[in-house]
Amino acid sequence: MKLTCEQAVKQFFAYLDRALSGEEFADLEAHLAACLDCCDKLSFSRELDAFVKRHLPDNPVPAALEARVRRALERAQGT
Amino acid sequence: MSLEEKTDRQSLDPETQRRFEALALPHLGHLYRLAVRLQRSAQDAEDLVQETYVKALRAFPALRDPERIRPWLCQILSRLVYDDHRTEPREVAVGDLAELDRFSLYDLIDQEDPFPYSDQLHRDFLARFDDGEVRRALLALPEAYRVPLVLLYVEELSYKELADALGCPVGTIMSRLHRGRKILERELWECAKQRGIVRTR
Repeated sequence: MKLTCEQAVKQFFAYLDRALSGEEFADLEAHLAACLDCCDKLSFSRELDAFVKRHLPDNPVPAALEARVRRALERAQGT
Repeated sequence: MSLEEKTDRQSLDPETQRRFEALALPHLGHLYRLAVRLQRSAQDAEDLVQETYVKALRAFPALRDPERIRPWLCQILSRLVYDDHRTEPREVAVGDLAELDRFSLYDLIDQEDPFPYSDQLHRDFLARFDDGEVRRALLALPEAYRVPLVLLYVEELSYKELADALGCPVGTIMSRLHRGRKILERELWECAKQRGIVRTR
């Protein structure tokens, strides 16, 4: 394996974010194919991302917000 | 003088303003949801959305592609938050960076083994947190880390798109996303210790 586990772990976020390509991507894939421990760690990082996304706040839009923004735009034009 | 500064000082004709409103206001809900995820309170989110629209109206004549108005509005909103906090947060806010880079929630859960009979230890650990706790962990991130991470999660932008949107190099985005996630892991671990999910060391 070209990569050590420590080097592989450092690439996980870029891998999950589809920001690896070429040799970097191939080296990490080769490492993962041979290292179950890193596969488990990568799965956890992927799961943690999905977990945080699921828990992001999603408040309903306040009914008065559009009117407030329209008033602000009118004021901005008036000044 | 930039085009934005020029337009700052001029009123737009009523037809341009109507066009702006017709194009931009349908995205109010999307912008508000993004703002809620970036700000500490619903009131701050409303203020941010209003500020975004006023700034966008003034810059509207410089928008080359009206089809891209939503990402353009999201960029203005994000920059309003990010630009006030773009420098590396003080060490006191995030602790020792080398130590942070080495932090591994996976390893700590493994070592602590809080649910000895679980066959899905790490998943069970995450399942113990509720919406409010995850939100507090996210809000513990300084804005310089939180803004790119939330944009990645919500808008699903590439590193290059994030770098363009926030006006910084791709390398900075990579390091902020890495450290932002590490701070988030650390906050969840601290929360687990406080709640007694794991033993305090």
